[in-house]
Amino acid sequence: MARSQGIDRRSFTTALAAGVATSLLPLRSARAQPAKLKVGVILPRSGTLGLTGQSCQKGADLAPGVIKELLGVDLELMNADFESNVDTARTRAERLIQDGAHVLVGPFDSGAAAAIAQVAEQRGVPLIINIAAAPQITEQGYRFVFRNFQTATEIVKNGLDLVGELFQATHTAPTTAVYMHVNDTFGQAMTKGITAILPQRTQLGFKILDDIGYDPAAKDLTVEVSRAKATKADFLLLVSRLNDAVLLRREMVKQRWNPMGIVSPGSPGMYEEQYFKSLGKLSEYSISNVPWYNPQAKLTKLVEKAFLKQNPNDKLVFHGLNVGFTFEAILVAADAFKRARSTDPKALAEAIRQTNITDKMTLGGPIKFNAKGQVEGIGSACVQNLNQLPTVVLPSAAATAKPVFPTPGYKKT
Amino acid sequence: MSRAALLLTGLLAVALVFPWLAGGYALSVGTLILYFAYTSQSWNVMMGFAGQLSLGHALYVGIGAYAAGALFYHFGIGPWAGLPLAVALAALAGVVIACLAFRFGVSGVYFALLTIAFAEFTRIGFDHVSWTGGPGGMFLKVEQRDSIDLVHLRGPPALYYYVMLALTAGALALCSRLLGSRAGYYWRAIRENEEAAQALGINVFRWKVLAMAISAGMTAISGVFFAFYNNSLFPEQVFNTGRSIEIVLGSVIGGVGTLFGPIFGAAVFTLLSEGATEALRAVGWEIPGSKGVVYGVVLLLVIVFLPQGIWPPLARRLGIR
Repeated sequence: MARSQGIDRRSFTTALAAGVATSLLPLRSARAQPAKLKVGVILPRSGTLGLTGQSCQKGADLAPGVIKELLGVDLELMNADFESNVDTARTRAERLIQDGAHVLVGPFDSGAAAAIAQVAEQRGVPLIINIAAAPQITEQGYRFVFRNFQTATEIVKNGLDLVGELFQATHTAPTTAVYMHVNDTFGQAMTKGITAILPQRTQLGFKILDDIGYDPAAKDLTVEVSRAKATKADFLLLVSRLNDAVLLRREMVKQRWNPMGIVSPGSPGMYEEQYFKSLGKLSEYSISNVPWYNPQAKLTKLVEKAFLKQNPNDKLVFHGLNVGFTFEAILVAADAFKRARSTDPKALAEAIRQTNITDKMTLGGPIKFNAKGQVEGIGSACVQNLNQLPTVVLPSAAATAKPVFPTPGYKKT
Repeated sequence: MSRAALLLTGLLAVALVFPWLAGGYALSVGTLILYFAYTSQSWNVMMGFAGQLSLGHALYVGIGAYAAGALFYHFGIGPWAGLPLAVALAALAGVVIACLAFRFGVSGVYFALLTIAFAEFTRIGFDHVSWTGGPGGMFLKVEQRDSIDLVHLRGPPALYYYVMLALTAGALALCSRLLGSRAGYYWRAIRENEEAAQALGINVFRWKVLAMAISAGMTAISGVFFAFYNNSLFPEQVFNTGRSIEIVLGSVIGGVGTLFGPIFGAAVFTLLSEGATEALRAVGWEIPGSKGVVYGVVLLLVIVFLPQGIWPPLARRLGIR
């Protein structure tokens, strides 16, 4: 006689236990912290913005290690190069999202940021902008776009305010300046900002005697420097790029023009490594008022250690702005992930909105996003070239040296 | 049904169902291919049909983009209403350049340099026009829309894909008609031997100016699309010489003067460059700028081995006239 095929009590109990365990498994899994956050880092690592993109990438590369140490969060970086091309930026962002990026970080360019922001918004994936200054990006009513960087207007405002602080700190009162600037897109935008903001800063107490624009690709600035020298201005207010800054400094020496100093109210060039390499001692004392990192911050020490480990022949100070803001953008993502305990884009976006990071690397107040997704109160530093290094001289809380103004004549350098 | 018609129907069918099968990334690449195919087709009217080398077609993309973009930005006028103005302005710019050049016998390399010069000084000019945002750029308002709003060209990525597909198909049809028309025959006569064409009584100046106007007007439409697809316009980005070169690439690789060449060329160079990036990523090599290298290598190979472009020999093999 065949045995009954029915279920006995023991089998039933075993099956029930297995069933309960199985039914609970997804619940447990859903509640547990997901293993890692996938961060899509989209930067222009080739093309016209290639050098800066690669510099930003250094900040991204060191982030997983430092953040693991800080927050205990595992990150997986997914890198994409958008080749300094806005059309490519869009497709690369789509690719990263399709490959499973939970959050996007980048892109060091306002045009690309605007294009990527739309992809992020359409796909519902948070985008944390590391560097891009066009104010309009966070004025579009986006729900998934966040920026931890100064807008162009803030850069000029902070830059000019630091000029005032420089005069106060050095007990000087220059009354005249000659304004020289590159005539490209960036130079024009800065000029527009300076023209609008300078009249409001009456406390600065200097007037611009002449406004001299020049081609960023100029091979000779003899005429421009002669014209600037002829104004007999107290100091040179300069908005430059790298190559023209080198050319201009050399021409100043050639023409024996020694104003009280060269001060940039917020442009690249004079704090960059190549400026020092090209000019040697002549690079000394040039001043750039730019968004910068706080060399005294605890987090900076950690980042610097990781940076030197990954780039033993390099110095953080030459990548400070790019590394600092890229690292912080990833830090924001990791911090939100830790609090949200989820990789769900909506939960991440909500957590990013609640961000309040006080222990940060860059200057200024805590990283807190306003309703538009913009961090307010990001600080700038007065960075002066001292002993062949860009050195923070103001604000005094972050300074590692005192500002030198008026600067010694070129013969003494 | 001829083989060409069969191929076209097949391609159109694939293109129509593509958004349903493709992910977000593939869709954006598809849109990019169609964009390049369209702009390249527009450029082809100038160079491929009439034999006039323009290396400054970004000028018309920019004029179209800024005309429609500014109308939307300042007055809330949608892209379709802005389109005629964009086309008219670009065509007018084309006519002015053409009149200047052709009236004074500027041709060949010198004409190409003139087109670059116009694109460049327009770029510099727009840097100083605060009404369009100057160098700081013009950002079109992006409203949160999950639904399709054709009037304001707002909606999901598939909408832009289909708009670009319609434009590409339209450009193909228009170019096909043009080639078969009197203008098409005159242009080809001018392209092959301008003096001979003139000797035969063709008003060379008039027909070259017409080619320029049509080509510029067509290119401006892609500018309108660019404005509403990217929603931000910077003179440096829109009038860039690199953009002019990208416009040329599709035709040069596919086959200058052919109808399918620009479409085929745009697909080949976009897919190859994307494919190379993906292949390198798959083997764990991250090489910044690999796309530019692929562009260069493909262009070099085509110029050396297939100077007429990829499409003409392929068409012969497929038995398509």
